[in-house]
Amino acid sequence: MLRYTNLYGLFLIQRFKILMEYRVNFLIGASSTIILQMAGLLTIWVVMRQVPSLNGWSLHEVLLIYGLITLSKSLNHMFADNLWTIGRQYIRSGAFDRFLVRPINPLFHLLADRFCHDGIGNFLVGSVLIVYSLRALDIPLTISNLLYLLVAALSGGAIFFGLNLITGTSAFWLMDAVPVMRLVFDNHLFAQYPLTIYPRAIGILLTWLIPYGFASFYPASYLLGHHMGWLAWLAPFVATVLVVIGYRVWKIGLRHYSGTGS
Amino acid sequence: MSIIQTEDLTKIYRLNQKDPGVTGAIKALVRPRHRDLVAVDQISFTVAAGEMVGYIGVNGAGKSTTIKLLTGILVPTNGKVEVLGRDPHRQRVDNARQIGVVFGQRTQLWWDLALIESLNLIAKIYEIESSRYQFLLEQFSTSLGIKELLPIPIRNMSLGQKMRAELAAALIHEPQIVYLDEPTIGLDLIVKERIRDFIKQQNREKGTTVILTTHDLGDIEELCQRVIIIDKGKLIYDGPINTIKDRFGKFRTITFETCEPITQIKLPPGAEIITPDRHSEERKLALRFDRTITTASRVAAEVMNQVEVVDFSITEPDLPSIVKQIYGGALQGD
Amino acid sequence: MFHGMRRKASVYGAMASVIPKIYMAYSLWFWVSLVLNVIATTIFVFFWRAVYANTNSIAGLDLQQTLNYILLAQIFAPLGNMQLIFEFGYNLREGGIAHALLRPVDFQGSYYGQYLTTMVTELVLQIPLALVVTLVFKVQWPTDPRVWVAFIVSAFLGRTVLFFFDWILACLTFYTTEVWGLGVFVDGISMFFSGRLIPLTMLPPLLLVIAGMTPFAQAFYIPISLLSGVKPLSQAPRLWLLQAIWLVALWVLSRLIFRVAVRKVTVQGG
Repeated sequence: MLRYTNLYGLFLIQRFKILMEYRVNFLIGASSTIILQMAGLLTIWVVMRQVPSLNGWSLHEVLLIYGLITLSKSLNHMFADNLWTIGRQYIRSGAFDRFLVRPINPLFHLLADRFCHDGIGNFLVGSVLIVYSLRALDIPLTISNLLYLLVAALSGGAIFFGLNLITGTSAFWLMDAVPVMRLVFDNHLFAQYPLTIYPRAIGILLTWLIPYGFASFYPASYLLGHHMGWLAWLAPFVATVLVVIGYRVWKIGLRHYSGTGS
Repeated sequence: MSIIQTEDLTKIYRLNQKDPGVTGAIKALVRPRHRDLVAVDQISFTVAAGEMVGYIGVNGAGKSTTIKLLTGILVPTNGKVEVLGRDPHRQRVDNARQIGVVFGQRTQLWWDLALIESLNLIAKIYEIESSRYQFLLEQFSTSLGIKELLPIPIRNMSLGQKMRAELAAALIHEPQIVYLDEPTIGLDLIVKERIRDFIKQQNREKGTTVILTTHDLGDIEELCQRVIIIDKGKLIYDGPINTIKDRFGKFRTITFETCEPITQIKLPPGAEIITPDRHSEERKLALRFDRTITTASRVAAEVMNQVEVVDFSITEPDLPSIVKQIYGGALQGD
Repeated sequence: MFHGMRRKASVYGAMASVIPKIYMAYSLWFWVSLVLNVIATTIFVFFWRAVYANTNSIAGLDLQQTLNYILLAQIFAPLGNMQLIFEFGYNLREGGIAHALLRPVDFQGSYYGQYLTTMVTELVLQIPLALVVTLVFKVQWPTDPRVWVAFIVSAFLGRTVLFFFDWILACLTFYTTEVWGLGVFVDGISMFFSGRLIPLTMLPPLLLVIAGMTPFAQAFYIPISLLSGVKPLSQAPRLWLLQAIWLVALWVLSRLIFRVAVRKVTVQGG
């Protein structure tokens, strides 16, 4: 475990050395996600200036939810972006074989190989939105609240990761996993807003099937003081289950790759 | 003592046959069709520690698949493979520690990193002890000449520099076996020589076992005492290099292009006309001569004395023709 | 002269017809995109319904009008697509700008042909989405043929305005290799100021002024607002005039900038 942590650190340092060479590219990449978020946020702000309530949710409450999902998304974006490109960059070209002849876990190698700096933009946006909205809502940043936020963010990131792992493994069969991944991933956009604005079916989809709701809505509701019972604490469990399933699916994918080869 | 052992090693690919487009995809779901491709067909051989084995065959013969089976990337459909007493797939990590692989066209180094940074990362991955690592870096700097290359990223290297860097990366953790898949492809002679010398040195000093797949017969001649020839997945020859050299290495082919069609021609001893193909043109004459008996100039002179020659070319025996001849029983009764 | 024009047209046509072929090659992605677009549309619809839950009218528009606008904006989204930065930045760079300039057709004209063809092709490919959205969310398509005429005219005018603007931006790629970042930046700005996410009439005065200064609104907001009825038919001629002024101004500017950029390349080397 320790060895892998050290190793990841080294991969990260090397990656930053490369990124620093392309400094402008680095800045543009990191800020590109910010700009895209700005369009969406600006829309929300413009609308809610005139209509202070989104079906019962105030601007800052909406921003809290938006910020939480953006932060969770960014964690996965930064550390596990290679799942998107595994088909095109690694399997199709045969570069994946290299991972199989090195004495480290191939999934670890795949993920460590590329820290994605684009995600930094989303990380900043998400963090700023959360802090800003919490303060505007007079929710104190107590130790327990901060801890809750930390767990929520990490769980949210893990939910994104687990789902991506499940869908990304399809690359072993389809060569390009991106269409399949997008079919699941794009559903997180629902969770940018309070789940109560959607019909029940969508709420159920985003809670129990593609549980992005645990990355934003449920933690936000808890912090806002809504009564939710155990839903407020479910996020880490959901995340763990998804990651475990994801890893099992990944192993199946690996077996398929070695069984039939390409 | 054998460190690599294969027994009836077989790999069959099941290829799904699919028409293009969306209708094809639906058809494939409803009624899937496939055909089986036997890439490796019951191949058995053993390799002893310290051997340098050439593994040759034409494109598509099954060389890469065999390497992937030996390195644990693929699982055999049938048969067994054992490397250093392990199943290379089941005990992937342990096996990986002991092997080095060079995939000719695909580099293992990080594209944008300086070579030294790549090597540092590799050293960490393979847990090379740091003083040993420094010592080896020094050693490789001289024997492979990579000292000047250390600060250069791979993307800026020439093909020859890349290959030298690649070899350093593959051998820096001192593996017991190294698999070289087409390592000299596209390189000029000087670089090839350097690389061949380095490989020989590693084998000599450290007893590294070398499995070399290549099209280049020069590589085979220089490095390997033993060759295994595979064609269409089957092993068709496994034996000392000398037999091959004696049988084929001494031949050369000269193809003449003449002004008029040739009716009769007298040839010096050691030369013979290669049976023309069905589509032979009358103005082309292909001869094969034995270098140990006669020379190119003597043959050419003889021919040019008798007919007017417009152009001619000399070729070394190439792998496809050797394989064809082996199939034709050329090695039986030797 | 006529013969010469026909020959030019057939060359433009041949170059432009490459694009539909490229789209047809990606059929799996086509159906997946459809699903992704439906997801995005669904989110929009429920968002706006939630917005109107506590109010009847925003900037003079009721829920039905706004929904109609948003749905039509989703369907006709390709009107706002820009691709020249990518074209110039990657394709041309790989192939060599000199090579492209050597072709015996008007350089800008041939790209314009491609631009229009791309727009038409992309709109045609939106038809399945239009069907799904109409059935599920009950889009109200205009029945008055004059509205359609107004829409089509302003769509072509707007598209041309966008083309010249895109051209100017693409010339920047002659000066920098950081093409992709520029593209992302422009995409982000255009996403908001084109009126794709929100009817521009809802914008506060300052943002409205900024939107008026960008060509994105000319290419997207004007046609869509005419089609959806957000802007009445009576305003059509005035809007066409506005678009025409933008068109001429950007056309002249684009040719000027292009000449400067080409000189830089041919003097300094691509």
